[in-house]
Amino acid sequence: MISPKLRLLTLLILVLLLVACGGNNTSSTNNTGAATNDNAAAANPTTPPQPAADIALRWRTRPDNQEEANVYATVSATLDQQLEGISLTYEPGGSETASYQDVLKTEIANGTAPDVFWIPGTDVADFATRGLILNLASLAGATSGFSVDAFYPGPMFHLTYNPDSMASGGASGALWGLPRDVSTFALYLNLDLIAEAGAPDPRELAANGQWDWQAFLEVAQAVHALGPDIYGYGANAWWGPYGTWMNAAGGGFFNEDRTACNLDSAESLAGLAFEQALYQEYNVAVPYGEDSEPPFRAGKVAMFQNGRWATPGTRTVTFDWDVVELPKGPAGNAGNWLFWGAYVVNGSLTGERAEAAWKLVQALTTAETQATVAALGANIPSRVSQEAFDAFLTYTPPANNQAFLNGLADSPATEGPLWAGSWPEYAPVMDAAVQALMTGSSTLEQFAATVCNDANRAAFSR
Amino acid sequence: MTTEQSPARWLQVVIGWHLLAAAAALFAAILLLTGGGPAGSMALWARLLAAFLLLGWGMGSGAAAFYIYHRIHRGRTLSLFTNYLAFVFFFLAACQIMGVFLGIDTLANNIGRGLPFLLLAFIGYLIGTAADRYEGYYARQQQITRISQGIMVAGGLIAALAAGLLPGLINLLRQLGNPTALGLVIGMGICLLMLWLMGREKAAAALHAQTHHEAMINGYLFLSPNLLGFLIFFAGPLLLSLYVSFTDWDAFGTRNWVGVQNYQRIFDLNIATLSSPTQRADEVLDVTLYGELARFTIAGRSIIVGARDRLFWIALRNTVVFSLLAVPLSVTIALVLSNLLNSKLPGIKFFRAIYFLPSIAAVVGISLVWQWLYNSTVGFINYGILTVITFLNNVLGTEMADPAIRWLSESRTALLAIIIMAVWQTVGFNTVLFLAGLQNIPGDLYEAATVDGAGKWAQFVNVTIPMLAPTTFFVITTTLIKSLQVFEEIFILTNPVGGPDNSTLTLVVYLYQNGFQFFKQGYASAIAWVLFIVIFGATLWQFRRQQQSVSGVYDV
Repeated sequence: MISPKLRLLTLLILVLLLVACGGNNTSSTNNTGAATNDNAAAANPTTPPQPAADIALRWRTRPDNQEEANVYATVSATLDQQLEGISLTYEPGGSETASYQDVLKTEIANGTAPDVFWIPGTDVADFATRGLILNLASLAGATSGFSVDAFYPGPMFHLTYNPDSMASGGASGALWGLPRDVSTFALYLNLDLIAEAGAPDPRELAANGQWDWQAFLEVAQAVHALGPDIYGYGANAWWGPYGTWMNAAGGGFFNEDRTACNLDSAESLAGLAFEQALYQEYNVAVPYGEDSEPPFRAGKVAMFQNGRWATPGTRTVTFDWDVVELPKGPAGNAGNWLFWGAYVVNGSLTGERAEAAWKLVQALTTAETQATVAALGANIPSRVSQEAFDAFLTYTPPANNQAFLNGLADSPATEGPLWAGSWPEYAPVMDAAVQALMTGSSTLEQFAATVCNDANRAAFSR
Repeated sequence: MTTEQSPARWLQVVIGWHLLAAAAALFAAILLLTGGGPAGSMALWARLLAAFLLLGWGMGSGAAAFYIYHRIHRGRTLSLFTNYLAFVFFFLAACQIMGVFLGIDTLANNIGRGLPFLLLAFIGYLIGTAADRYEGYYARQQQITRISQGIMVAGGLIAALAAGLLPGLINLLRQLGNPTALGLVIGMGICLLMLWLMGREKAAAALHAQTHHEAMINGYLFLSPNLLGFLIFFAGPLLLSLYVSFTDWDAFGTRNWVGVQNYQRIFDLNIATLSSPTQRADEVLDVTLYGELARFTIAGRSIIVGARDRLFWIALRNTVVFSLLAVPLSVTIALVLSNLLNSKLPGIKFFRAIYFLPSIAAVVGISLVWQWLYNSTVGFINYGILTVITFLNNVLGTEMADPAIRWLSESRTALLAIIIMAVWQTVGFNTVLFLAGLQNIPGDLYEAATVDGAGKWAQFVNVTIPMLAPTTFFVITTTLIKSLQVFEEIFILTNPVGGPDNSTLTLVVYLYQNGFQFFKQGYASAIAWVLFIVIFGATLWQFRRQQQSVSGVYDV
C-alpha cells in the first residue's frame, strides 16, 4: 500500500518534470522543436505553410564587469529587434580569463556551447584546427558589401589564415570570425605622485618625442625615491607586459614564421634585461607577480601598465590621473600589442542556423554596435575608420585618449594564435621562465640556456 | 505442481515479457557486436560496452522467466531487478530525448511564478490545523479537513499551472510524436506494470517468498539510488577515464588508442653523467625530448636527471611537500585545539563554532580574501608584520628591517602561503572530529589514571592519544587525501596558476591544465590515474599502520 505522503511526493515529482518539459529558450531545445516541426511538416505535406519560427541563437562574450555585461545585454536586446527571423539570448561569460575558455571548451565538448561566442585572438588556431568554430568564408563570400578590409589588418591576418594553404587575406578561403574590438597598452599615470616627486610629466615628454626607456626609468626612480612602498612602475604577471619590453627591443616570442621560440634571441633578451633591471637592480617596480592594481588604486604606483579595459575601473580613483603611451625602446617603437578577440560561430552549426549566426556576427561588429560598447570606455572599435577614432577620443576620462590611438599607430605586434604549435602550452612555459627571471630565481644566462628548449618541446613537438 | 505447469495469467504475462525482453536484448547485442544498423556509427568501445551490458541484462531477464516458471523466488528478485534497471534506463533516456534535462533551466526560471500560489496551499494547511479545535465534533472536523484539502489542492494546482504545467504537458504530448520517445515511454509503462505485478503480495505468495527475501529486496531497493548514483557518476566515469588514459583524446575528436604511451611519457626519465657540475644540459641530454629535472653530485660524480614531462615531477614534488607539511600541521593544531575546547567553560560552544567557520566557507571566497591579505604591498599580513617590527624597533631600539615578504610572488614562500591557508581552513573540521572522539573516551579511564598518580600530561599521552587512535586515523587519512588533491586554493591564489616558477604546481592543477587548457584529455586521465595510485597507496599504508597500532592498543 503506497502511503499518502509517497503519493504526494510522486505527484510533486511528476508536476516538476512536466514543468521542465515545457521547453526552454536554449538553442538545443529549439533545435529539437525545429526538428519536430520539420518532421510534422514532412509527414503532412498538405498542411498550409506556417510563418517560419524565429531561429533562436545564444551568444556569449566575456565582459570585464557588470556594467559591461549590461551594455552587451542592451546590445542583444536591440539586435533582437533588428534581426528579422532571429531571436537572441545573451549570456555573459565569466570574467576570469582562465576559466572563460575552460568553461567554453567543456560546453563545446558537451554540445551545450552558445551558437556565437567570443574568444581571445590567441585561441583562434586551437579552436579552428579542431573544428570547434565554423569557417565563415563561404558565407562571407555570399554577403554583398562585406569586406575584411573594414577591420584592423593585424587581427584579420590571423582570422583569415588558412592552415591548409598557409595564406591569409580575403581570398584565402578562410574566415574564422570578426574582431569584437581591439585594445592596446598604455601607462596609467598617477599625476599627483609624479608631481610630488618633481618628475617631468610623461605626457609632455611623449609629446616632445623624448619618451624613451631612459626617460621612463628616470621618472620611475624619482617617484620611488618618495618612499620604499612607493613604486614608479607596476604591471601584472602575464605575457602582455613583458612582451612589450621584448618587442620594443626588436625581439618577440616567436621567429618570423611563428614556428619556433625566439625568446633567447639577443633582442628579446635585451628587452627582458631592461625589465629585469626595473625589478632587481633599480627596485622601482611593484614586485613581479604581485597584483599591481591594488597599490595603484591606493595611490602608491606612478605608472601602471594596462590595457584600455582598465579605464572604467580607473575612473573611480581619487587622485588625478591620465594615460600616456608606452616609452619607445631601442627598436624605435614602444613594442605595444594590438590585443583583439573575435566573435566566432559554433562549429556544429549548419544550414539556416549557421547563416543566422553569421548575420549575428556581422551585426555585433557594425560601427554602430561597436560605438555603443566603446562608449563605456573599455574597448576600442575594431573597424578602421576616422569616425570611430573621432568618437573614441570623446570617451573621456582619460583626457589623453590619443595615447591609445598612438599605441595602435606605432606598429604594434598583433596578438596572434599559434597555427604551428600550441599557444596554451607555450604561454605557461614562457610565463614561468620570465617570472623566475624577474623574481631573481634565475639569471638571464640560465633563462637563455633553457627557455627555448622547454618552450619548443612543450608547444611545437606535437 | 499443477500451478507450476500452468501459471496464472498474470504470471504468464510476466514470463512472456521477460522472454521477449531477453530476445530483444540478445538481438540488440548482436547488432552492436556486428556493427549493423544504427550501431555502425558508434565507437567500438561503446558498442562493446553496450553489448556487454545488454547481454548481462538479457541473461538476467531470461533467467527471471525460467525461475518464475518454476516458481522459484529467485525469479521474482531477478524480475524486479531487471525491470527496475530497465525502467531507470527508459526514464533517463526519455528525459534526454524529450529535453527534460535541459528544461530544468526552464523549471528554475518558472518555478518562482508559482511560488506565491503555494501560499494558498499553506493557508489551507493552517485551516486544517484548526480542525483540532473541534475535538469530539467529528462531522465538523471532517468538513474543515475537506475544505483544507480542497484549498491546498487548488493552491498546488494553480502554482503548477502558473509555473507552466500546461505548456509542459502540451510539449510532452507533442514530443510523443517522436517514435523513439513514444517507444521509451511505452517501455517505461511496461516496466512499471511488471514492477507492480511482481511487487505485490500475491506475487510474493505465488513464488513462495520468505521474510528474508522481502528484507533483501527492500534493502536493495533502498540502496539502489545510491548504488546507481555510484555506478553512473563515479564508477562509470572512473572506468571511462581509465580507457581515455590509453588514448590521445582531446575531448572533441576521435579517441585514438595509444596504449601506454601517456604513462610512458609521464615516467620517462633520462639520467646522464656531467663532466662538470655546471655543464649545460643540452650537451648531455636530448633537449628536444627531455627537460632538466635535477642535477646533483654523488661521490664526486655530477649527475643530471632529465624528464620527458618535467612538470609532472615538479607537480608531484610540490604535492608531496604540501601534504607533508599541511597534514601534520592541521592534525596537530586540531588535536591541541580540541583538547582546549573540550571543556565546559561558559561560551565554549561559541568558540567551537568560530573555529569551524572556515571549514564551511566557500574556498573561492576565502581564497580571494587571503589573496588580499597576502598582497605584499597593501596586504594586511605584511602591514601587521611591519607594525610589530616598528613597535619593537621603537621599544627595544633595534634596527630590524621590514622583510616585505612576497607571499605569493616568490617561489620560496608561495607554497608555504598556500599551506598556511589550507591548514587554517581544515583545522576547524578536524577539531570537531577530535572533539567527538574526546567525548567518547570514558571518564573512568581518567579517574583511574588520576588514582594511579598520572598528571595531565601523562593522561594526555597515555590515555587520550591511544584512545583517539581511530579518530586520528580517520582525520589523518581524510586530510591526506584532501591535501593530495589540493586545487582550488592554488587556482584562485596564484597568477599564473601554479606559479611563481611552477612552485605551486600540484598534480591536480597540472592535470586540469592538461585536460582543459592543453586539449589533452588522454594525458590528463593518465595523470589522474597516477594520482589515484598515489592516494590509494598512501591510504593503504595508513590502514596498515592503523591495524598495527590498534592491535597494539588492545593488546595492551
